[in-house]
This record gives sequence, structure tokens and C-alpha cells, in this order.
Amino acid sequence: MNMENFLLKAATELTLVLLMLGILLAFIRLLIGPDPADRIVALDLISILIVAFLAAFSIYADEKSFLDVAIAYALIAFLGTVALARYRERLAKKHGQLNTDKDIDT
Amino acid sequence: MNDIVTAVFLIAGGIFSFIASLGMLRLPDTIIRMHAATKAGALGAGLILIAQAFYHYELATTLRALAAVTFVLLTAPVAAHLIGRAAYCSKVTLWEKTWIDELANTCNWRVSEFEPDNNSKSEAPDPKE
Amino acid sequence: MSNLFLMNLFLAAGFCAVLGHLNVSGFLAGYAIGYLALWITRPLYEPTLYFAKVSNILRLLGYFTWQLIVSNLRVLWDVITPTHISKPGIIGVPLDAKSDFEIMLVANLVSLTPGTLTLDISADRKILYVHVMFLDDVEAMRLQIKKGIEQRVLEAVR
Repeated sequence: MNMENFLLKAATELTLVLLMLGILLAFIRLLIGPDPADRIVALDLISILIVAFLAAFSIYADEKSFLDVAIAYALIAFLGTVALARYRERLAKKHGQLNTDKDIDT
Repeated sequence: MNDIVTAVFLIAGGIFSFIASLGMLRLPDTIIRMHAATKAGALGAGLILIAQAFYHYELATTLRALAAVTFVLLTAPVAAHLIGRAAYCSKVTLWEKTWIDELANTCNWRVSEFEPDNNSKSEAPDPKE
Repeated sequence: MSNLFLMNLFLAAGFCAVLGHLNVSGFLAGYAIGYLALWITRPLYEPTLYFAKVSNILRLLGYFTWQLIVSNLRVLWDVITPTHISKPGIIGVPLDAKSDFEIMLVANLVSLTPGTLTLDISADRKILYVHVMFLDDVEAMRLQIKKGIEQRVLEAVR
């Protein structure tokens, strides 16, 4: 019984560390991404990882209500991603579909 | 017993999420990066949510976790589709090993679809303000 | 058909009530046992599509899960090895799905299996454009998407 508890605690901590490293790597792509689309994908990945982080943290803290936060966050993040993708399409349209390096500096 | 199942799902989800962002950093072009990011990320988040459902084992929490999993698995491909189309139509550079592109000539009508008064013009709109 | 589905749900709820506590695994077990009971007594009702439909949906779910795991491992292998073995390409797959719901389901499932990503659909809704990460043979890939995903979706939905 004690053994199982220890296993679960270790697994939770390992997962939290992996998720934090993942968010860090996605953040690097958010900084260097050559195209706005790259940054949108990175933001989308970060928000999915934050949903996963909230779920894992609700196990770590033994607190159910983090799940509600995760659901609400997933809803809002999806809306944000859709809006940003629309923005990228409009940017391309406004500039007559030029190449990427030109329509970054709007 | 539940604890062990929870631990297995947690670690699998964590590894998939980490691989997703590693792929995000390492793969060669935007659309290939989206392969890693949206799908492995959604799978990782889904696995961790399922682990959470196993940990708090009662009906209300399990149903909410299932709803969250369904939502994540339903919206991830939609978001991927939107971003992919935006990236492709804005002529993002494809990796040099891409050897076939059957979409090449059919994309232009898509971008102008959202504002119907531009549909009649055949050439791309002028970028001047 | 919807009658049998309602009766199956009713049997599952009854099983939960007998069990005394409410959770998802109890409900699923009740649904499975109720399904079995309905299947055994199927000569009593008029001929129905319900059993074929449930087994088709289960087969779609099983195939999808298996595909998800296998091809995720393939993408994972490409990410963690230092060289990139992928050979990407964009192909058009002719669609048999007609209604919005069927097309949505096919596009979403194609997007969710790693290695393939839905990019666009043609104006007349006949061709689905798919970005494939490991593309060796165009015709084989087309056939795999049509036979593997689309046919199963149509069997489950129609």
C-alpha cells in the first residue's frame, strides 16, 4: 500500500517535470518561429500542455476542482487559436500572399 | 490498483507531451511540426485526463474528465486544420524533401472566400494602403 | 432501432440500481450485459440494424485506437532519432462521404492519426487534401485512407 503511494507520487512529480520541460521547449519555438503560423502552433501546444498540467496537478494536490479550471481553459484556448488562425489568413490576404519574411513586419 | 493504473497513464501522457514539444522544436517545417504538436499533444493531454479520472474514482469527476477528453480530441484536429490551411495559403516554405503537392493550384480561392466582394476580381488585391 | 437502444440504456440503469453505487464502469458493464441479453433474445423483435451498428461503431473505435498508438510511435521515432527519415507530400483523396457530419468525422479522424493531416477540402466537397508525413507510394496511401478510415466511418454512420 505504501509502495503504491510512493509510486504514484514519483510518477506525478516526473510528469509535472516533463510537462514543464515541454512548455519550455514550446516557448523556445514561440520565440524563434520564423512564420506567425509557427508561433500560433506553439501557443496552441502550450495551451494543451497547460490543460494537461492542470489535470496532473489536480492529482498532485488531491483537489478535484482543478479539473473545472482545465475544462474552462481548454474552451478559451480553442477560441484563441481559431481567432489567431483567422488573423494569419487575413494577414496573407492583405499582403496578396507574399512570402513569409515580408509580411512578418506589419 | 487504481494508483498503479493512474501512474502508468500519467507517465505515458507526460512522455507523449514531452515528445510533442521536442518535435515542435526539432522537425523541419511548419506543417510537419504541426503533426507532432497537435496530435501527440492532444494524446498526452487525453492520457493525463484519463489518469485523473482513475484517481478520483467517482461518477461526477469521471464524467467531467471524459467530457474534457472528448473536447480536447474534438477540437485539436479542428485547430490543426485551421492553422494548416492558414499556413499553407500564406505560402509558408515547405521542406525541400516534400516531393508531391497536389494542392498547389487550388488554394487561391480559399483566402478570398471570406469577403465576397473580392471574389469577382481575378488578381490578388493590392497591398497598398 | 432507437427502441432497442433505449431499452439497452434502461437495462444498464437498472443494473446500476441493483449494484447500489453509481460509476462509469458499472454503467458500462450493465450496458454490455444488457446488450448480450438483447442479442440472445433477438428473434423476439422484428429485424433491426441495431446490433450491426453497435459492432461497426466498436470496430471503428478499436481500429482508431490501434492506429493512434502505432502511428504515434512512428512519429515519435522520427522525432527522437537525429536524422529525419520522413518523406512528406500533399495528396488529394477523393471522398465518398456526402453529408457535413460524415465529412467532418472523416477529416477529424484523418487529422488525429499522426502522419496524416487534413489541410483543405475542394470547393465541390469531393476531394480531401491530406498532408502525409511518410509518403512512399501515393496510390497505396490513398487506398489506405479510403479503405481504412472512410469506409469504416461510413459503415458506422450510415
